[in-house]
Amino acid sequence: MSLPLHPFAAKPSRARSAEKSVFWIFRLTTYLVLACGAFVFGDIVVKGSGTIINGVKTTDYFPYVTNTFIFESPESLYVFEHDGKKVEMGDKDYRAFREAEEAKAKKDGRPAPKFKADSYVYSAGGIWPCIVGTVLLVVGSMTIALLLGVSSAIYLNEYAHDTRIVRFIRLSILNLAGVPSIVFGLFGFGMFVIFFGWNVSLLSGWFTLAFMVLPVVITASEEALKAVPKGFREGSLALGATKWQTIRSNVLPYALPGILTSSILGIARVAGETAPIMFTAAYVVRDKLPWEVDKLGDFFFQGVMALPYHIYVVSSKIPQNEYTERVQYGTAFVFLLIVALIATTSIVLRNKLRSRYKW
Amino acid sequence: MSSESAPAVPPFAIEKARTRLFGLTLDECIHAFFGGSACMAVVVLTLITVFLFREGADFFGKNHDNLRIYRQAGLEYVDYIRQQERDHTALTRYLSDLRLRTLRYLTAEKGLTVAQANARLAGFDDFAGRYGDAVEPVRGLVSDLTETATAIKTKYTVNEDAKEGRRQLLAEGKKDEAAAITIQDVDFKTELAPITGTLPLYKEASATFSKNLGEIVAGAPVLPAPELQARMVKFQELTRDYLATFPETLHALEQWDYAKPVPFTQAFTAFFFGHEWLTASFWQDWYGVVPLLVGSLLVSVIALCLAVPLGVGAAIYVNQIASPREQKLIKPAIEFISAIPSVVLGFFGIAVLGQTLRAISQVAWLDWIPGFPFAERLNALTAGCLLALIAVPTIFTLAEDAINNVPRAFKEASFALGASRMQTIIRIIVPASLSGIVSAVLLGLGRVVGETMVVLLCAGNRIAIPDFTAGLAVVTQPVHTMTGIIAQEMGEVVRGSIHYRALFVVGIVLFFLALLINFLAQKIVRKYRISIG
Repeated sequence: MSLPLHPFAAKPSRARSAEKSVFWIFRLTTYLVLACGAFVFGDIVVKGSGTIINGVKTTDYFPYVTNTFIFESPESLYVFEHDGKKVEMGDKDYRAFREAEEAKAKKDGRPAPKFKADSYVYSAGGIWPCIVGTVLLVVGSMTIALLLGVSSAIYLNEYAHDTRIVRFIRLSILNLAGVPSIVFGLFGFGMFVIFFGWNVSLLSGWFTLAFMVLPVVITASEEALKAVPKGFREGSLALGATKWQTIRSNVLPYALPGILTSSILGIARVAGETAPIMFTAAYVVRDKLPWEVDKLGDFFFQGVMALPYHIYVVSSKIPQNEYTERVQYGTAFVFLLIVALIATTSIVLRNKLRSRYKW
Repeated sequence: MSSESAPAVPPFAIEKARTRLFGLTLDECIHAFFGGSACMAVVVLTLITVFLFREGADFFGKNHDNLRIYRQAGLEYVDYIRQQERDHTALTRYLSDLRLRTLRYLTAEKGLTVAQANARLAGFDDFAGRYGDAVEPVRGLVSDLTETATAIKTKYTVNEDAKEGRRQLLAEGKKDEAAAITIQDVDFKTELAPITGTLPLYKEASATFSKNLGEIVAGAPVLPAPELQARMVKFQELTRDYLATFPETLHALEQWDYAKPVPFTQAFTAFFFGHEWLTASFWQDWYGVVPLLVGSLLVSVIALCLAVPLGVGAAIYVNQIASPREQKLIKPAIEFISAIPSVVLGFFGIAVLGQTLRAISQVAWLDWIPGFPFAERLNALTAGCLLALIAVPTIFTLAEDAINNVPRAFKEASFALGASRMQTIIRIIVPASLSGIVSAVLLGLGRVVGETMVVLLCAGNRIAIPDFTAGLAVVTQPVHTMTGIIAQEMGEVVRGSIHYRALFVVGIVLFFLALLINFLAQKIVRKYRISIG
């Protein structure tokens, strides 16, 4: 039996070992959560990255390399037997191939070859329109949300006193944060799509998403404003500056980095939500890219394809098999990557900011 | 002391000319602008309420019409008889289940081959066949009546459409076209005559049915095992109960009157307590929210059962037990999990988790777990597991905050009295932060109830109240949820139709449910907060 190092060292006892085992249970629960998250993430990364890697193609124009999965539009996939081999082709290639074969057969005087192809919608090509659509939705809605949210936070933190109305506003913000996203979708549909007659359009989606993240942005901005020391304001006011001058020159510049970084989390939310845009902004499929419009006004009143909605479509509306799996996992991977990048940026920036500003 | 006698205030020496907008100085304008933005949250909440009600409120009127025509066209009358037929079908299902059990008993326990066992069951099959055929007279009646009633309903709908068309034409001032539309009001009394006229026929049919069934059941075969025989006795009892309902049905049919008004409250009760959500049916549409509500709650309960121990456990661990290095690693990681979009999780459920869970359930030595093995890949359990992953970060973050807010002095006092770390955590820290933890759980519930994509993709989307008699195995049944039904059906319904309105009313229910949960969470935090002093 080994002696303890010093007379006051803890002696092993039943209570102590019980404590230890309980702590281990807590540790395991924590790491179980992390493992679950890592498993989901890992599964999609492993199975999805193949699609991206296979999509890399060389081209004969600058930059000489491209990724067909990222930079092309979705197409139907055709799978058929040709010369005893299984061939997979996207819609455009398949048509060209058939025409070529038929022309060849005609020239040789053979009867036109018959193709019996299985088709899988959306399983070939890429997801470029979806990426573009998601970016447009995020940019538009975050602009609106930041404008409204930051002004709202400035009022609550700088101007407002603790009156009944302000308390009511705070209560509304808290409650707004708890409203389910599908309810926002219904509301956006009822108000923007039908009542305002904007139809399924970018504009409807922007406002719906902006209202959805409003509480997130307000809370984040208020935190950032609160972090600016009182002395900054008092010094400015003492020099005779008006309230607005004080806010503009002595509060906002110091709060802005905090506002922006915390709002990035709002971006992740906007990019990730499907339910609000299902009936307000998203199309299942659209041939044209958003900037291919006749006049500028049309830009705002067009629906777009969006990544989250595309994932929903490809995972629920088409069967699961080896051909469709690629596009399903590939889309999920790209989407997860984008959202993860946004989230990581937010977390890293925030930690940096915390250590930089110490008043 | 009138104001006139007061000396005029001399102008302030360094008064500056201010720009004014609507009589407000620039600073006041800015103040007003920010104030206006701050009210945005209130405005949005109001707008949500207004627009949900604007689209949804009309539902109850339409549902009332729906129920009224259900009665007037005689569908209700036919459904009485149909219910009788359905109950009989349920009994035959019981019988076929019994046959399966007996077959399994004969092959497994007695060691007979399937052919031999089937031969042994010939008597049983004869019995079951006669039992099944006994319903024929009633069934024939039902199918005849169904056609008649549907015809009346169609006639009525066509007529209503014509009326609507005329109204529109008149509104547009096209009188001639409006006059050209022929409208024949449906006289329900004469139309219903062929249906109500079948009452004697029904009496006769049900009497034969009843007599036959009684005779057949009396001669039920004896089954080889006492356990099976007990089931057979139970079956005989059930049949007798069933036969006892016949006079009741007959009474209902005799009393039935198409002109009896449908109270308007029924439009509400049929929605809030209706057990069926049946749309686009040839017979009668039902909008009952109960199956969806139950589905939503079932999935949420599963999710919370998994997420609460994990989330709260992790919060305690990170805040009280983990080293600072671990804290710095775990907190962002869990925040990262919260950023995984729900649609990706839903896809993961379809692609991986559903199959994995099913495979696990089919492992032989795990079949003691209730509900295992299950055949449905997508069910409440799959969705619940994924929702738990969504709820964990919410619960974790808020619970960790709550634990963090427990004053340091509590912990120190506990240590000073000689309590161990575990005692401090369990007896001091957790009780002190309990209000915060409970509200964290409630907010997690709110998050889970409102989650759409995961349940839409993974819950199995079967619109039926799950069978709670199965005990814990209920979690392996597919369900449909309130959020799921809106997302699924909203894209397909005709704008302004009753179905469309019904979906908005489901949205209203969801909205107020979320507000209620939120309200409770805030109330609990405020009421039971512990502070020093």
